[in-house]
Amino acid sequence: MYYVAKVNADMCAEYKCNTCTLYCPEANTLMFDKVGNTSWVDEDRCKGCALCVYVCTDMLSRNCITMEMVHGKE
Amino acid sequence: MSLKYVTPVAMFKKYLPKDYVELVDFGPFGKTQDEAGPGNMGQFKELMEEHPMCSGCWMAYYIRLIFASLPCPEETVTLGTAGCGRLAISQAAVPFIYGNYGDQNAMASGLSRAFRLRFPDKHKDVITIAGDGGTMDIGFSMTMHSWIRGERFTTIMLDNEVYGNTGGQESGMSPKGAVLKMAPGGKQFDKMPATALAKAAGCVYIVKMSPTNIKKAAKIIRRAIFVAREVGPTFIHAYTSCNIEYSIPTEEVFADARAQEKDRFQFEEYMTDAAKEVIDRIEAEEKAAHRAKKGVVAEEVN
Repeated sequence: MYYVAKVNADMCAEYKCNTCTLYCPEANTLMFDKVGNTSWVDEDRCKGCALCVYVCTDMLSRNCITMEMVHGKE
Repeated sequence: MSLKYVTPVAMFKKYLPKDYVELVDFGPFGKTQDEAGPGNMGQFKELMEEHPMCSGCWMAYYIRLIFASLPCPEETVTLGTAGCGRLAISQAAVPFIYGNYGDQNAMASGLSRAFRLRFPDKHKDVITIAGDGGTMDIGFSMTMHSWIRGERFTTIMLDNEVYGNTGGQESGMSPKGAVLKMAPGGKQFDKMPATALAKAAGCVYIVKMSPTNIKKAAKIIRRAIFVAREVGPTFIHAYTSCNIEYSIPTEEVFADARAQEKDRFQFEEYMTDAAKEVIDRIEAEEKAAHRAKKGVVAEEVN
């Protein structure tokens, strides 16, 4: 049970933006899908630091990323 | 390593680990910065893979940026020493050499000399990436001597202003007054003037910065590598905060880096005339190549 970042794909796709993927401290975790024009999170690798939330919400005021609780798969 | 060494034989590809094949197909090997560089991180397979560093670590972010900015990752060797940084550097798909505490610049001296003898026809980049303890405290003598001898390789100091890996003891780079373990009443001495020392020791390209602007940070890493190939020792002093020991909430790590950019880590760049010549030449070449490529694309569209 821990927090991971979750991208609202519909909201994210409205902008031509991959800023959050540039500021994630984890490599190959917050990725950008060129076809769907949206960022997505590899939940198994996300450590839940919420730096992407700072970038998306505080810096860009777009509010596309939230922190959500995930539960381990049975 | 070389590009030929990295690329697997087509027949064996299906037997290789998936991660490795992905790295060869979608990684930055043999690609330009426009195709797989810091500007499009998150769209290609990066060299650094799952690392055990803390959540929200700014040092991990900067190391990720270093690996994305390498001009020629298949011809690069990194060296490091004990400290947080090596946990991530050793997880990257670039050869990494780990020595005793503080001797990374001594090893790099020998290695870069050996590379120049063994591969006189190509550039092999040697980069030492170590923390403030490894570079300025315990490895101080070896770092200084490598600079005084004019060894041609890049030194990057990841300055988190504390011994983060061993539990937060005061280091030579901690700011005056910082309350840390072994300094319960606040540190009594000033922060070491690393860039001034580098200048006195003969570094030809010196930068002090807080990596907040991704394009600028990448440009500086590349400049330092290009200058080290031809002119002499180069040094980057980068602020990579320790959010654990300095109690910075993880979501505010980036804000803290921006604040430090205006405070202790104001941008400083020093280069000699010879270094400036190399930088101007290479950046003009890159620009010309970029323009030529744009022209080809425009022609194709027409």
